[in-house]
Amino acid sequence: MSSSTVLSVKNLAIAYKVRGGEIEAVQNVSFELKEGESFGLVGESGCGKSTVAWSLVNFLGRNGYVKRGSIMFQGEELTGRSPEELRQMRGNRITMVFQDPMQALNPSMRLGDQLTEVLTVHQSMSEEAARKRTLEMLERVHMPDPASVMRRYPHQISGGQQQRVVIAMALLNNPALLIMDEPTTALDVTVEAAVLDLIAELRETFNTAILFISHNLGVVARVCNHVGVMYAGEMVEQATVREIFKNPRHPYTQGLIRCVPRLGADKASSMLYPIRGRVPPPNQRSSGCVFGPRCDYAQDRCVAERPALHTLSADYSSSSAPHSVACHFAEDIVFADWQPPADMELPVQKNGAFTSGQEPIILDVDALKKYYDVQGNSFLDLFGLGEKRQVKAVDGISFSVPRGMTLGIVGESGCGKSTLVKTIIGLESATAGQADFMGFDITKDLNDRDAELMEELQMVFQNPDSTMNPSYTVGQQIGRPLLRFGKIPKEQVRAEVVKLLHSVRLGENYYDRLPRQLSGGEKQRVGIARALATRPDLVLCDEPVSALDVSVQAAVLNLLLEVQQEYNSTLLFIAHDLSVVRFFSDYIAVMYLGEIVEIGPAAAIYAPPYHPYTEALLSAVPIPDPDAEQKHIRLSGSVPSAINPPSGCHFHTRCPRRHLLPDGGKICAEQEPPWQQVTEGHRIYCHIPVEQLAEFEPVITTAVATIHSLGG
Amino acid sequence: MAVAEQTTSVAAVGSTSAWRRYGQNALIILDSRVGTIGLAIVLFWFFLALLSMVWTPYPPNASQFEQNLWPNATNWLGTDHLGRDLLSRLMTGAQVILIKTRLPGGIAIPGGVAIWGVFGSLVLGVAMGLTAGYYGGWTDQIIMQILDALIAFPRIILYLVVIAALGQGDWVVIIAITVTGAPGVARLARSLALDIKNRDYVLAAQTRGESAFYIMFREILPNARGPLLVDAMLRIGYAIFAIATLGFLGIGLPPPDPDWGNMVNEARSYIFNNPYAVLWPSLAIATLVIGLNLFADGLNEETSRYQR
Amino acid sequence: MLLVSLLLFFMVEYGRGDVTIKILGIESTQAQRDSYRNQLGLNQSPLVRYFTWLAGNDWWLKDRVGRPLVTVYNPQTKEPEWWVRGNAGELLRWQMDGGDLFELVRQEDGSSIQRPAPDDIWTTDANGIPEFWGLNNNNSAVRWIRGEGATIQVRTKAGFREEGDSPVEFIPLSKGLIRGDPGESLRTGRPVSASLPGRIQKTGVLAMLAFIVVMPLALLFGVIAGINEGRWTDRIISITGLALTATPEFVTGVVLILVFGIWLKWLPAVSVFFSDQSILELLSSWDSAKILVLPVITLTAVELGYVARMTRTSMVEVMNSSYVRTAIIKGMPYSRVVLRHAVRNALIAPITVIMLHVNWLVGGIVIVEVVFGYPGLGTYIYDSAIFGDFNAIEAAAMVTVAIAVITRIIGDVAYVLLNPRIRYA
Repeated sequence: MSSSTVLSVKNLAIAYKVRGGEIEAVQNVSFELKEGESFGLVGESGCGKSTVAWSLVNFLGRNGYVKRGSIMFQGEELTGRSPEELRQMRGNRITMVFQDPMQALNPSMRLGDQLTEVLTVHQSMSEEAARKRTLEMLERVHMPDPASVMRRYPHQISGGQQQRVVIAMALLNNPALLIMDEPTTALDVTVEAAVLDLIAELRETFNTAILFISHNLGVVARVCNHVGVMYAGEMVEQATVREIFKNPRHPYTQGLIRCVPRLGADKASSMLYPIRGRVPPPNQRSSGCVFGPRCDYAQDRCVAERPALHTLSADYSSSSAPHSVACHFAEDIVFADWQPPADMELPVQKNGAFTSGQEPIILDVDALKKYYDVQGNSFLDLFGLGEKRQVKAVDGISFSVPRGMTLGIVGESGCGKSTLVKTIIGLESATAGQADFMGFDITKDLNDRDAELMEELQMVFQNPDSTMNPSYTVGQQIGRPLLRFGKIPKEQVRAEVVKLLHSVRLGENYYDRLPRQLSGGEKQRVGIARALATRPDLVLCDEPVSALDVSVQAAVLNLLLEVQQEYNSTLLFIAHDLSVVRFFSDYIAVMYLGEIVEIGPAAAIYAPPYHPYTEALLSAVPIPDPDAEQKHIRLSGSVPSAINPPSGCHFHTRCPRRHLLPDGGKICAEQEPPWQQVTEGHRIYCHIPVEQLAEFEPVITTAVATIHSLGG
Repeated sequence: MAVAEQTTSVAAVGSTSAWRRYGQNALIILDSRVGTIGLAIVLFWFFLALLSMVWTPYPPNASQFEQNLWPNATNWLGTDHLGRDLLSRLMTGAQVILIKTRLPGGIAIPGGVAIWGVFGSLVLGVAMGLTAGYYGGWTDQIIMQILDALIAFPRIILYLVVIAALGQGDWVVIIAITVTGAPGVARLARSLALDIKNRDYVLAAQTRGESAFYIMFREILPNARGPLLVDAMLRIGYAIFAIATLGFLGIGLPPPDPDWGNMVNEARSYIFNNPYAVLWPSLAIATLVIGLNLFADGLNEETSRYQR
Repeated sequence: MLLVSLLLFFMVEYGRGDVTIKILGIESTQAQRDSYRNQLGLNQSPLVRYFTWLAGNDWWLKDRVGRPLVTVYNPQTKEPEWWVRGNAGELLRWQMDGGDLFELVRQEDGSSIQRPAPDDIWTTDANGIPEFWGLNNNNSAVRWIRGEGATIQVRTKAGFREEGDSPVEFIPLSKGLIRGDPGESLRTGRPVSASLPGRIQKTGVLAMLAFIVVMPLALLFGVIAGINEGRWTDRIISITGLALTATPEFVTGVVLILVFGIWLKWLPAVSVFFSDQSILELLSSWDSAKILVLPVITLTAVELGYVARMTRTSMVEVMNSSYVRTAIIKGMPYSRVVLRHAVRNALIAPITVIMLHVNWLVGGIVIVEVVFGYPGLGTYIYDSAIFGDFNAIEAAAMVTVAIAVITRIIGDVAYVLLNPRIRYA
């Protein structure tokens, strides 16, 4: 591999002019990027990762500018160049891929035109030559039927395909530097895996330097060879990817690794350790070490003096490549020796989490269906004459949950998991089937439910920004269900609310705060307190942590575990993140296109025998461990429409194991598969016999890292 | 960009009094230069209107000077075709629009015709819009059909019809403004309700079985008030515009109080002798409408920044 | 539309109060008003009158009259008239003279010959009174009582005149709005359908000219302001636009008249049409067409600001969107970013709103026409409203509503064409 340096950033500082002064969003950032290398920039939101990327393409908005430092690109200084010079460089030698491909493509231009203009403008290529080149490039990003894609508009192709188009666009001019800003964050896990494969493949064939920005350690571990960790606008640690994961030296990096669950880890055998506090806004950063206020090792020096990024000597680094850390005590802090501080909020583990079978069933759902009528897009539909069609969002689902247990539901977007929850809580009425909750029939919607039932069924929502009504104080919002159900006398409401605030680890001083004065994690805590106010028997959690930063996510998950024990609630936990679900749940149901394809105890789901879809999901999860060996199973195509789901087994159009059956799995398209009982409570919905499924290799061969084990 | 947004919001400190919060909210308008200018213009006219309740240079309806005088030391803005002082008439003209409404029977209530008219359309429009947006389905269809029918009428015709129907009077103009304004408010309220009703906090309210009334007016409405307020400011501008137009057509606010639109109409026959008699009321209308527009712009800018 | 017509009819119906007072003046006597109401057929129930207004009444009145009812064009008055087709194919009306009923037989040139009515036309009603349903000279179906001409108050230019030999019941004949006959104007005494088309044409030309001037200018200014968000070009365009929008049409109009019509004398201050001059003749030479200039500028001024501001908002939004960001980062030249990527998307929103805004334009046209004395639809509506001429105002209002509905459909179609995302299959 050639080692010419493509990009060299030194002491970069970026500032934004705002009313009454300016804010330095990014300070002291330095890194180098060589040809064919991919450098991952990780950190939580608000850490300045994207700002760095924008500065490289000189797109900082009207009020942002590079305040100090230098950006050398292929030996040329970029700062202080004229806008026209920079424009010619952009899109030609430096290109960029964004997070949301749907937003990034012009909705009213054909994809072909959007692609070819990159060539016609930068290389004065003829229209025809440009089209030919574009077609080739679309083939190289494995786009099915490139010629027809060229004629389409962005909304006519799927999200994964859109991202392929954006990547193809970025590669057309053979750029020296490709910047990718969270390119897979908006995608589903199986699609993400395929796009990451593509990126890894392109890195090798194009020899392009890639700057890869992500908040997800697992994704970075999969595609990068160098990693820089950013915190609060500063680069705090930099090393090769293996070194970062095996020998993290900065307390922040260590904290990040500790707070995400590994795939396969569960709550009985491991713990999540949140980082206290939250990322400070740029104008409230400490003058000493930016991480100081959240650091377990902080000492006086950390407050007084800001540490500079320094390279560790070979004694402390396990790799030959340089490893630099911005911490005064980097040499003294050993990752493995860390002990949780006494004041950290950690759930107390209950013993015997798997004493299932004795607990009474609290929720029993049988063949539940929820169909929606949809309006078509034809002129006939405009006048209500079109063919009536239905989305089969939930298409015959059966399961039961014992008291005090957690059922996790996983699946990609559009699989119907949210609809299922909405039907159970009563925001939608069921189309068919039975559902029984503690003797109540819950197939009807809220209008037909008793207050008694509503009290016992509450919900924690996904989006922290909309879970609370912006117009009322925390106290009013938690107190409202108490008043509404008349649980306690009016004059005691305040005391009860304070009690609830304490149980979600918030002080009484939060009582009069408005939602806009809270952070995302705090809002989520208030949402949990509100759901718990009536002491419900069943709490439905719809992706309660997916919108939170990882360090906060750990704290909220711990809190949920704890209140579950305190209140002895049963939980239905929805998430798209398999690691989180595995960690959090006792039982897991895997959903695909409105159906459950596999259900059983959490541990059983994550080892063979499993459903081919479960297997594919597991092999797609990005694992924050560069040494983990994961089986490479990718699904072809995208999730079919729920309006007209495939016949037989809904999964047969994409199933990678279908060929195991005679006639190439003809039966899968013709007949609905049988429910196969594996063990008590573990069922698989597949034509392939359990014996054969059991023979599959496990997806992940590397043992779950031991550093998390209890008492660690 | 992302960084700029965080600076203003953190400063606010939790306070127990809702009124103090509203006070703080009201002050944010001063952060916007455009909004401040708009507010200043509007306050200027309010001040003149209030002042004219107790003092005007001369009686507004007394023909005590020479006719069609140009501006001079005695009559700062000149006189009209009947020898009435233009400044006094201009000041008094602001009263009926902004600060008082004359009801039948010689009673006057505070709040101008424009303000009551817009208030009326707000009340009516919000009630219809929230209901349509929150319930959806057939309720929505029916309400929207009626509103669409109303919207299909050109405003001026609605005005003409209402006035032809009820005769002249302050309260007739208020009704005309209410009727013409309500569909627009309802559309806005409906779209806000459609947006807000899918927020998680509304779902949370539903899961604890709150009544539709509670959800519409306690959960949704408070969070829709920003855009509605901005819209109301713009609407007061439209209303003043409409009042002036009706005055010009001779079917607006009844005498004896002077009406800006009517002043323009009367003076236009003498425009060759005294263009100022046309100019001043025209300027008055334009500045007040512009002021309200700027104020609304500023309010919009600041509330949308403040909310997130 | 049906709902609109219902709404309109009953609003006017209950709104207008006693129309006869307005028309006949306050000094008219109760007897005069009652008689006049009777002649206008206002004594029927509102619902019947609504359906008559909407769908006509000849199709059921012909059963009452017993013979087919036809409309014939009168070459002398140039207006359509109602006649009854007799058994021999002749066209008949009736008139009473000294208690005797006569048939009027229509001649080719529009005049008629009087002849005594045959005896066998009389029938006997429930009370045994001999009666006959026929047509009078005022296009009304009327009921005559044999030998007893009623006395009515007839309105003439000079005032009221008592007239004997009259029928006792009147139902004005109408084909109904949906068949192109909105009734007779009380103000002019002519059918509304005779005066309306010319008015619509004239207003149409005015509006079209204004539209042609406004659109390109407003979109251009809006786009320019939008891409320069926050800079001085944007400020100037925005504030000028706001000032123009905030200035009522009558102010702009009066000022323009003052400057161009009176001081500079470049252009005519009022829009005088020679009687019966058609719009095409008007447009045929600059000398006559220049009366349109000031009205068009006045309309333009008001619309320009509004549309430009809206376009600006949309443009600003699009310029801050991710796909424009993508285009910039792709290294596209700025002009290409604006023209190829931004403008088309930015125009989607304004175009629909512009079409909805036609209502506003109609309001503006009323004022502009009144200010300039332009004899279009606007002045027609205004005059009719002031007069309380319900047939005229209802018809004119329905026209404007129809225009509003049609433009809205055009707006929807334009939206679909511009926006590939919702292009229908």
